[in-house]
Amino acid sequence: MTTARGQSGQKKGRGLLREEFGNPERRTAYYMILPALLIILIVAFFPIAYSVYLSLFQANINGVGQFVGLENYVEMFQNDAFLRGLNNTVIFTVVSVFFEFIIGLGIALAINRAFRGRGLVRAAVLVPWAFPTVISAVMWRLMFQDQVGVINYVANAIGIISEPILSDRTLLLIAAIGVDVWKTTPFMALLLLAGLQTIPGDVYEAARVDGASVMQRFFRITLPLLKPAILVALLFRTLDSWRVYDLFWGMAGRELESLSTFVYTGVRISQLQFSVGNAAAVFIFITAFLIAIFFIKVLGMQTSTEE
Amino acid sequence: MAERSEGTRGDTTSVGAPGFGGRGMNRRDFLKLAGAGLAGASLLGVAGCGGGGGGGEGGVQEFTFSFGPDSSGSLQALVDRFNQQFEGQYRANYREMPADTGQYFDQIRTEFQGGGGDIDLIGGDVIWPAQLAAPGYIADLSDRFPEEERANFLEGPIESNTFEGAVYGVPWFTDAGMLYRRVDLLEQAGFTEPPATWDELKEQVRAVQEQVPDAPRYGFVFQGSNYEGAVVNGLEYIYSAGGRVLAEGSSDEVVIDSPESAEGLSIERSMVEEGIAPQAVANFTETESQEAFLQGDAIFCRNWPYLYALTTDPEGSQITPEQVGVSALPAAEGGESVSGLGGWNFYLNANSENQDAAYEFVRFATSAEQQKQRALDGSFLPTLKELYEDQEILDAVPVIALAPEALERTQPRPISPYYSDMSLRMAEQFNNNLTGNQTPEETVATLQEQLTEIVQQAQ
Repeated sequence: MTTARGQSGQKKGRGLLREEFGNPERRTAYYMILPALLIILIVAFFPIAYSVYLSLFQANINGVGQFVGLENYVEMFQNDAFLRGLNNTVIFTVVSVFFEFIIGLGIALAINRAFRGRGLVRAAVLVPWAFPTVISAVMWRLMFQDQVGVINYVANAIGIISEPILSDRTLLLIAAIGVDVWKTTPFMALLLLAGLQTIPGDVYEAARVDGASVMQRFFRITLPLLKPAILVALLFRTLDSWRVYDLFWGMAGRELESLSTFVYTGVRISQLQFSVGNAAAVFIFITAFLIAIFFIKVLGMQTSTEE
Repeated sequence: MAERSEGTRGDTTSVGAPGFGGRGMNRRDFLKLAGAGLAGASLLGVAGCGGGGGGGEGGVQEFTFSFGPDSSGSLQALVDRFNQQFEGQYRANYREMPADTGQYFDQIRTEFQGGGGDIDLIGGDVIWPAQLAAPGYIADLSDRFPEEERANFLEGPIESNTFEGAVYGVPWFTDAGMLYRRVDLLEQAGFTEPPATWDELKEQVRAVQEQVPDAPRYGFVFQGSNYEGAVVNGLEYIYSAGGRVLAEGSSDEVVIDSPESAEGLSIERSMVEEGIAPQAVANFTETESQEAFLQGDAIFCRNWPYLYALTTDPEGSQITPEQVGVSALPAAEGGESVSGLGGWNFYLNANSENQDAAYEFVRFATSAEQQKQRALDGSFLPTLKELYEDQEILDAVPVIALAPEALERTQPRPISPYYSDMSLRMAEQFNNNLTGNQTPEETVATLQEQLTEIVQQAQ
């Protein structure tokens, strides 16, 4: 192959084409992956492309109207509900992922050590994660609720708050972050634990022999070697939080807005906000994509196991 | 529990108990259903092959009727009675739709956008007519359902079906906001009459809380969460103070920014401010307020007629029907008592080939005889005026006898093709008003702006 590339040095592009399709074996290979490529195109790219296309038109439930360019996006950024959703989503994502990471790392380090009943603890830690999100949302809503809610009762009795949690949007957001941390920290811990177990024990032994302190071993060995696992875990959680829907909807209905609930309201309930809701859907997709690129390019996440 | 079925709560989020299997299904029923399903499928096939023409086999005109889940079985019974009476002539096929009114509406819109699918007749919510009539989905019934026939029906439901001077639906069963009260506690404080005004309600609450030992912790509960039900609650205050959302007879002139509307909303807010209602009422839906009342935690409760029957079930209720009084909602000072209107109507698919057959079903189902049967079977409140004098119904559905004024003084929600959008804004703003985030004046001014924008955007 290197020789073939050398021969068609000047006309690199055409040479490459000829090389790829001139060779009957390679051509067959392309024919064989063509159906798979087509399916990927239809299943993955078509809906995205169609949403992007729709977002440039004045569309409603009855049909597609005239081309309006980026007007839907302009309107979207002027929409109060969208801005509140964006604001809530950013705060929710940053704060919940931060706490999940810190606590998750702590748990992972703790259960990485050998102690009796470790298997049981590992299984127990995962329990909150096993609940479907919407179930935990409704369950916690009951606890926050003022008639039978334990948390509301305790918080009122101690005097932390004087009002019902569910009727204050700030308190609701804090509560939602709390529930998310409760629910997904185990997932974070599990991913980090998997990372920890790939670090060979003799590295620590060597460090100890060289007289490295606990802190030095953590910052010089554990963290750097855990970085790939940390990045994967953070990316998963960030994208998940960015698309938060079921937790908010289950806990607070229309009272707590996120980007995704804005899309739902616009496309499914409203008759006039269809285009704007669709634009917001595209916005979520693009921003999620940018977040992923940020993790891969800026933070240097590895996307495959090959070097 | 039959009262809770088929969604008469007038909100778009919760519609009674779902589930088709409320009554046991025997083999015969199953075969019948399967037959209906097959017939429906063949009808689809015919319609698909160019026009349909409503012909089943042997001159029987078949049509499809859509409605939410039939948990009490009284709907299937109605359909069976129709099919029996018109055997060989017409055949109605019931198609089950989602229990959640919002989802049902979304599905209807989606199907009609594609030409209406196979639905000929819709059993739909009272807030739908304008939204379905504006894009031309449902048929103008002004000729089929003439003035003299309409006069036999309650006025509120008829009004809800009127859009731009034409009538688009026939009222099937109705629903109205009512005031439930604990007569046992109120008697101890010396009150035998229900409060006629909101101020009297506050006065009665204070008296009970002062004089009766172990008085319930809440004076008054209603629906204040950010959702459809709270729109109905907010509008009741606005209407009773003389305010309006849209100018009379208009679907695009917004007039909510008035001192009357602000006055109405300030009464609602004052319930929380003065401690008559708990702060948490701002996230109450029907369920929370119903539970507060049934657990004996509230003196007054605003809810729909279904609540009364729940007090007869000792397993779910700490209070008995003897402790409960029902009346029309109080009025604002100098205003009138107004109840928010709920309920369901019949609408004809404008493009259906089977309109005549389907309308025959409407005529049948809304006849005095069949409405009475449904009232007795499932406590569905009739829409014909004459049935409110029928002793058998009054005995079987006590709320009718207890609060007839509530059913006579209903007022529909704003009739607009863009009601869904208006409702989103009103639910949010009424909730902001209730939590004290903004003053009633600010609320009506904001709504004036937002609703006007919706109306203009639509043009």
